Amino acid sequence: MFAGLFGKRDLLLPVTLLGLAAALGVSAMSLSTGDAGWGTQYTSMFSFDKYAQSFTAITLTSVLLLAGMSSWGFRTLNSSLGDHYALILFSLCGAVCMFSFTNLVMLFIGIEILSIPLYVLAGSRRDDLASNEAALKYFLMGAFATGILLFGMTLVYGSTGTFNTAAIGAAVERGVASPGMLKMGILLLVVGLSFKVSAVPFHFWAPDVYQGSPNTVTAFMATAVKTAGFAAFYRLFSTSFLGVNEFWSVGIAAIAGLTMTLSNFTAIFQTEFKRMMAYSSISHAGYLMMAILVAGQPGSAGAILLYMLTYSIATICAFSAYIVVAEPNGDGSFAAFNGLSKKQPLVALVMALSMLSLAGIPPLAGFFGKYFLFSTVMQQYPWLVVIAVINSAVSVYYYLKVIIAMYFTKEENTYEVLIPSSIRWVMVAGVVIITLLTVLPGNIFGLI
Amino acid sequence: MSFLLIIVPLIASALLLLARPSGVRQIALAVGVVNFAISIFAAYSALYDGTVNHETNIAWIEQAGIRFSVGMDGIGILMILLTNLLTPLIILSSQSQRIDNEPRYYGLVLMMVAALNGVFLSTDGMLFYIFYELALIPIYFICAIWGGENRIRVTLKFFIYTFVGSLFMLVSLLYLYLKTPGTHSFAWTDLVNVQLSTVEAIWVMLGFFFAFAVKMPVFPFHTWQPDTYVTSPTGGTMLLSGIMLKMGVYGAIRWMIPMTPEAWHTLTPYFMALAVTGIVYASIIAVKQSDFKRLIAYSSIAHVGLIAAGVMAWNKMGLQGSLIQMLNHGINVVGLFFVVDLIERRLGTRTLRQMGGIAKVAPRFAVLFMIIMLGAVAVPLTNGFPGEFLLLNGVWQYNNWLGAIAGLTIIFGAVYMLRAYGMAMFGETNAETAEFTDLDGRETAVLGIVAALVLVLGFFPNIILQLTDGTVNRILGSVQF
Repeated sequence: MFAGLFGKRDLLLPVTLLGLAAALGVSAMSLSTGDAGWGTQYTSMFSFDKYAQSFTAITLTSVLLLAGMSSWGFRTLNSSLGDHYALILFSLCGAVCMFSFTNLVMLFIGIEILSIPLYVLAGSRRDDLASNEAALKYFLMGAFATGILLFGMTLVYGSTGTFNTAAIGAAVERGVASPGMLKMGILLLVVGLSFKVSAVPFHFWAPDVYQGSPNTVTAFMATAVKTAGFAAFYRLFSTSFLGVNEFWSVGIAAIAGLTMTLSNFTAIFQTEFKRMMAYSSISHAGYLMMAILVAGQPGSAGAILLYMLTYSIATICAFSAYIVVAEPNGDGSFAAFNGLSKKQPLVALVMALSMLSLAGIPPLAGFFGKYFLFSTVMQQYPWLVVIAVINSAVSVYYYLKVIIAMYFTKEENTYEVLIPSSIRWVMVAGVVIITLLTVLPGNIFGLI
Repeated sequence: MSFLLIIVPLIASALLLLARPSGVRQIALAVGVVNFAISIFAAYSALYDGTVNHETNIAWIEQAGIRFSVGMDGIGILMILLTNLLTPLIILSSQSQRIDNEPRYYGLVLMMVAALNGVFLSTDGMLFYIFYELALIPIYFICAIWGGENRIRVTLKFFIYTFVGSLFMLVSLLYLYLKTPGTHSFAWTDLVNVQLSTVEAIWVMLGFFFAFAVKMPVFPFHTWQPDTYVTSPTGGTMLLSGIMLKMGVYGAIRWMIPMTPEAWHTLTPYFMALAVTGIVYASIIAVKQSDFKRLIAYSSIAHVGLIAAGVMAWNKMGLQGSLIQMLNHGINVVGLFFVVDLIERRLGTRTLRQMGGIAKVAPRFAVLFMIIMLGAVAVPLTNGFPGEFLLLNGVWQYNNWLGAIAGLTIIFGAVYMLRAYGMAMFGETNAETAEFTDLDGRETAVLGIVAALVLVLGFFPNIILQLTDGTVNRILGSVQF
């Protein structure tokens, strides 16, 4: 983080990568040894349990890939390069807090550590109007959401008398003196967190913010930030509010159904790749909302974990293919991809694999993500699964648009597409991970 | 050995797609021939008492009860023979023309072969589903990259139609899976033991039916088919009609009816009605076609309608007929599409009216085409006959009226095939057809093999009937209504 201060520009990326890899190594090691880390020391604030470890591991994997991508994505930055890496790493710290909190205060602090660097990152292209707009929108909406979230926490505290998530869970289980206050608090928490994970009807900021932000930052928002949002959502609801789940499950089910349906049907009409990806990311939020519904059931946490990993890797691969096509040519429409399979077969292949994986077409990794998620939800909410399945079928249509442009369209464009070596590495690593997940999805699912 | 049939083409496909070596044609053909040799050996060393041979069963995703389990009983062997017999023929026939980007084309064909073998070998429900869907990706790319006019719109319809169809099958499989006892399992033997109420079984069966009906296709789910067949490159059309549509029929025999016998009595009358309607409807349209390729596409709907009716009748005659007819229809339709391709490449048209008199200038072609055409019309002593005879007999046993209506297919079939043959081959030559060159060596080899199979299997249908006899008896005995 401080390397930028000393003007050691060339050192920034290696140091970042090394640090991330070391962190990933540590979390993978503690996962395999079943070591609780220093969880016991600070249990009142956070506990680095298996859940937190595995989510940290998958987020670090995504951020590692993103960092590889950033070496080219951030190529135009000069003095502020160090700041960018610092902000991303800060944000990542926030995410880790959100994976491991056992106290509402830590959740709140985690969300803030995650969000504030993002507001800055979204607006990091100062001379670009869209980027400014994105930052302002994101900040205003985020500030509102934070306020609502905080208000919700206060009400929950008021009714249960504690910030500790496990203690809240126990209190809710026993029944609280003022159930109205508790319900109001839960409702506000749902609203606040839905803002953060961009679920309908609190999603309006997402497409503009995704489109306006620099590509690398968008990829970060769509993957690591979303993972953090859902991991926190799930952790909170599975430990604290299972006692009154009949109260909030109707709302969550409605949000899930609406989110996937509205966003999918909007995505069909997009002509810009990045905006399509924004709506696609909202629709995946809809599928993931279903996992909150079955919080606490065996397999539901593993399902979110696997889904998040497959989704993140495919999204990062897609963005890395997108930036080499769109950035140098200044064209982000689907037509920019015309004839790509002839010009750059590797980029086209990576993009095609990511799109098919996001669409959940077997045998690609994304299918297993969907499969585990849907089968966990199937027993309790079969009708919601039917809606989700129909939506996955609809989504095939817009994911195929890119493939059609790359492989089948005869019209050519004159764009030149070059692959920088760092992006090539990201792509190869991404494809390897997708292949591994295709062959052995059970290993990730079984982590938690 | 089952495992080899999947993994060999898969590795070869990855090699062709990623490494793009030279000598692509030879590699592809060699893999096709090797696979055929493996399947012949597998068939030779198997037992035909209805048991599963050459099993491989390894744990894959244990948390979800999914195992990588493959093996073949008599029906599986028949399907494997069909797939791996047609593959070298399809690859060889593709080689008589220039194709852009050959590594990609043959890589996709081999990926398709791996997936098809996987479909016919899987004894695990989820594995079956995964291969079933995997087969869709390469064929979609083949048809959309190398296809003709309107290929993007047509293939998109095809893709979404079949993808949605299989999603319903996934829901059905999942429903059955959740009903299996203990820690759930997708193994065929476990799924088949699930007892359902009639209402549940009806929904589950409909899920399967939708997937398979789209694939076959059965009327009224056939609307994607004629356009896709016409638009696709010939290799793609052969894969689709020769092998891929059999995935649907096979799925009905292996999965749909054994899984949900409780719903058979309720739903079969409707399915039968659809199948028989499809036969008549497609035959009438075929008679009216002027585009030769489209004519064969519709004839394919009619034939597969009869096969589907034979399966739904669920008696010995119907099942045996549908199995042998799947093989023979595959052989004939590959031959016919190759004939269309030959004519189109030489004349630049598929319109029957613009042909004529070809028999005069290309006698070798005329004879081979004649034999294949007779097979398609199901003349006795050609391979089409035993299948159609058994099928009609099976449908007749189920319901006399339906049998009688389905029998129209023979008359219509003779009408449209003889008409097409006459218009193309006889009459006066025109400026175009006078220049028609007779077959070259490679073309003669492909058509010659097909014609020889038409005759051999016509004389000795027992070779095939023996393969499946034991398995059909066992299936009929084990599925209780």
